[in-house]
Amino acid sequence: MSAERLEAPPLVDERSRSDSLVSPLPARSDFVLDVSNFSVVYGTGEHMVRAVNDISFTLRRSAVLGVAGESGSGKSTLVYAMTRLLRAPGLISGGVVNLNTTRSGDAGEETVNLVTASEKELRKIRWSHVSIVLQSALSALNPVLRVGRDFDEVLKTHRPDMTRAQRRERAAELVSSVGLNEDRLDRFPHELSGGQRQRIMIALALALDPELVIMDEPTTALDVVTQREIMNELQDLRARFDFAMIFITHDLSLLVEIADEIVVMYAGSIVERARANELYEAPRHPYTLGLLNSFPPMHGQRRELTGIPGSPPDLADLPTGCKFHSRCPYAMTRCRDEEPPLTSLGDSERSVACWLHVGGPGVSVPVELSRDATTKDRAHANGERP
Amino acid sequence: MKALRLPRSPKVLLGLGIFGFFIIMTVIGPWLAPYSPSATNFTPNLTPSAHHLLGTTSLGQDIFSQLLVGARATMVVALLAGLVATVLSVTIGVTAGYLGGFSDDGLSLLSNVFLAIPGLPLLIVIDSYLPVNSRSNSLVIGLVISLTGWAWGARVLRAQTMSLRNRDFVEAARIIGEKRIRIMFSEIAPNLLPILASSLLFTVLYSIGAYVTLAYIGLTSTAVWNWGTMLYWAQSNNAPLSGEWYWFVPPGICIALVGTSLALLNFGIDEFINPRLRDAGLTSRQRRSLGLPRRIRLGLTPVLRPAIAKKISPSPAKLVGQ
Amino acid sequence: MRMILRRLGLYALTAWVAISVNFLLPRLMPGNPIQNLIGRLQGQVTSNEIRAIRLSFGFGVNQGLVAQYFTYVSQLFHGNLGVSITLGASVSSILRASVPWTVGLIGLSTIISFAIGTFAGAMLGWTRGSRFDSFIPTATFFQAVPYFFLATVMLLIFGSDLHWFPVLGAYSQSVTPGWNWAFLSSVVRYGELPVISIVLSSIAGWMLGMRNMMITMIGEDFVLMAVAKGLPRRKVIMHAARNAVLPSIANLSLAIGLVVSGALLVELVFNYPGVGDLLLQAVLNEDYPLIQGIFLVITLTVLAANLIADFVYLALDPRTRTEAAL
Repeated sequence: MSAERLEAPPLVDERSRSDSLVSPLPARSDFVLDVSNFSVVYGTGEHMVRAVNDISFTLRRSAVLGVAGESGSGKSTLVYAMTRLLRAPGLISGGVVNLNTTRSGDAGEETVNLVTASEKELRKIRWSHVSIVLQSALSALNPVLRVGRDFDEVLKTHRPDMTRAQRRERAAELVSSVGLNEDRLDRFPHELSGGQRQRIMIALALALDPELVIMDEPTTALDVVTQREIMNELQDLRARFDFAMIFITHDLSLLVEIADEIVVMYAGSIVERARANELYEAPRHPYTLGLLNSFPPMHGQRRELTGIPGSPPDLADLPTGCKFHSRCPYAMTRCRDEEPPLTSLGDSERSVACWLHVGGPGVSVPVELSRDATTKDRAHANGERP
Repeated sequence: MKALRLPRSPKVLLGLGIFGFFIIMTVIGPWLAPYSPSATNFTPNLTPSAHHLLGTTSLGQDIFSQLLVGARATMVVALLAGLVATVLSVTIGVTAGYLGGFSDDGLSLLSNVFLAIPGLPLLIVIDSYLPVNSRSNSLVIGLVISLTGWAWGARVLRAQTMSLRNRDFVEAARIIGEKRIRIMFSEIAPNLLPILASSLLFTVLYSIGAYVTLAYIGLTSTAVWNWGTMLYWAQSNNAPLSGEWYWFVPPGICIALVGTSLALLNFGIDEFINPRLRDAGLTSRQRRSLGLPRRIRLGLTPVLRPAIAKKISPSPAKLVGQ
Repeated sequence: MRMILRRLGLYALTAWVAISVNFLLPRLMPGNPIQNLIGRLQGQVTSNEIRAIRLSFGFGVNQGLVAQYFTYVSQLFHGNLGVSITLGASVSSILRASVPWTVGLIGLSTIISFAIGTFAGAMLGWTRGSRFDSFIPTATFFQAVPYFFLATVMLLIFGSDLHWFPVLGAYSQSVTPGWNWAFLSSVVRYGELPVISIVLSSIAGWMLGMRNMMITMIGEDFVLMAVAKGLPRRKVIMHAARNAVLPSIANLSLAIGLVVSGALLVELVFNYPGVGDLLLQAVLNEDYPLIQGIFLVITLTVLAANLIADFVYLALDPRTRTEAAL
């Protein structure tokens, strides 16, 4: 891919992949997850669908990466495939996922490529280094077991030297750190409220002090008040347990609060990547702008909700050129024929895949997508455009 | 209306093939039979030969002819009983599920009672009281069997109807003011089709077993040729112990094959109802061509070898060009 | 508790229906079979015996239908199931001798078959796509073979031809029944082939049902989470199996009836001294009091087995427990 990159128009930054990161390349021990050229397909032959295309990013220790996109954008597929949890007919068609498993006290450096790891290696890494919180805690918890059993089982498997009493004590400590009473451990999942269940899942995810916690829409199924509480608790827990996080959601305004860096995915590819506040203040991709206008901001000025016209693309039948062009109010002829590469913008630590920005000197960038855009410009962007 | 399209898996095709074969046997079997099944004018206890493909009985009857002629009575009674039982299941199950309230309580109780009573002993009790001339009447036997075999279908159909009742399209029809009976038959019934088909297969399976069993213990007229009466005569003439396998094995195998074909067809329906049972998107040939393991393990998403990955999934960067 | 009470109510009602069927059938059938039978017996048996037979059907002297019904039910509650026409003894004493054989044989076979079938089904579901899948059509075939036919074939091959197992009867003629080693080991030896043939006939049903439920459960999030937690494979399978087995147990009530129906005929094939063999003799001799008594006893036994299955389900699924507590 880098070879083709070199032929890209002048504005395209020609540095290699890892240089297109937001921050200067971190020291090796500074990252927890390093993903490069990662691709996932579903099925094969005529019915093959490319769900994740050539994605690269690096997650620093204790940092939060937000992944945003509509359903079907490939954001969940990405994280499940990364951790090798994606179900058939999902197949990883290439890439490297390096997980840094060095604990803070360790002498040497140790990284594992999850893509080539054996089942045994994965079993050791899972939960003790990477844990996951799913959208629906009700379906993620075994309905016939008391939730205390889940804690006990995880601790017993990964910390065989702990006694039964120690495991119980640790579980009690964990649930109280998410604001629940210890007696909840003796309940069955269906006896808990949605918020309680999700808190249990979060506490469970932290049971082994993992370096990375993946949150797949953890608050989507909850009401707004509970969502708010859990987001606040997550901030506290991060301060306390110091873990890195990949936070997946379709709600960009939620992401802006918690994430350091955000990638926006569309049809399996990253279309924009930036620091959270910069992305929020000045989105560059028309899709990002549309997403921002689809949700009310958690704080600050209200804006008109306009949403994105059309529906998410059918991965089995993607348009040519830029995958977003059929829904894009700014689409040009070029967008129909050629796919824009994800390109680092020269003026800031961010990249975008859009011909408006990388199309060369002849293209004028609309004001609402330029670096000087004001909130007002953006608020009316979709509405005013034909 | 959702058409019931069975997945074209080898299991379903095999099931259809076997079942089709026996249906043809049912229709033309009696005409193909070389001799009369009851004629006793052959040498008794012949082993299979070109003249008597399956040998003769100890009464000097041609076993092959009995098998061909017996197919009709066996299949007709099984299908008839299965159909009647299914009609009963639909009537009772759908009504209970759709009406709810007291009618539901009453009808569910009725089907639960019939479920709890062991079917065959009840069948034997009823049948033993039948006058002898009714026992040779296939219609009567079929009806009695259907009486003991409808309850399971009624239960699953009721559950499905209840879940359908509250879906949007039924709600919409109700608000428009369509008549209940119309809603039941034009809105709900088509969506019950897969469950209905599965329940029909099961009742036919039950019926064939029940009919053959009744015949085997001599509770149907022994003058009516079916696979059960063949087994009855074989047993009462000690065929199994005297090594005359060609007398009692063929009817048993035929019964088992019809049953197997029904069960295989039901695999297809199960896969239609429950998508998780379908093959997970990759056929074994595709898996082989991709160099993937035969079985894809949970929690071990397969990784394509780079050479194969390049072949099936050209790098998206190729789409970028000047 | 509410669930158990409701089930108890249902079983009581079912028992009542079974009793009433017994009472009504002889009266509803064309040609009044009981009166015909009694007419036929006249002269062969004493008038006292005729009276006993009439009484066992509730045909008291000069009574209306309702009064007959109450006579009949009260007779039942006194343990009086009438007198067998052919055997001369009281039906309840005959049943007392044969019911333990049947309960032992079918009960043991069902437990073995359920345990092995469920375990094999869980494994088949878990290893779906592996070469073990080719086992499924074979299992389907065994499911479709009538019990009595499979039993006959087994008897023929392993009993008469190979002499691997003793056949016909429940114990050797040379031992004296009682709590002695010779008798008990003989019972076990003679029980082997019937048990194996019932297990073979019924196991496929449990296995295929469990396999389907297992596959459905593996699709659930909590099983994926068990993998994500890095649990050993055995524990992941247990997470799925614990949930997959619930529908099997819930369906036990339906299945027990079918298994018992099939297994009764296995007794017949092996000349096993249980109620199945007795039932056939009774049917052939038109021994109505005995037929009815057997039907009633089988029904009550199946209902008791259902109740046990309900308790097991209740113990395994906490969701029904909570519901019941409300």
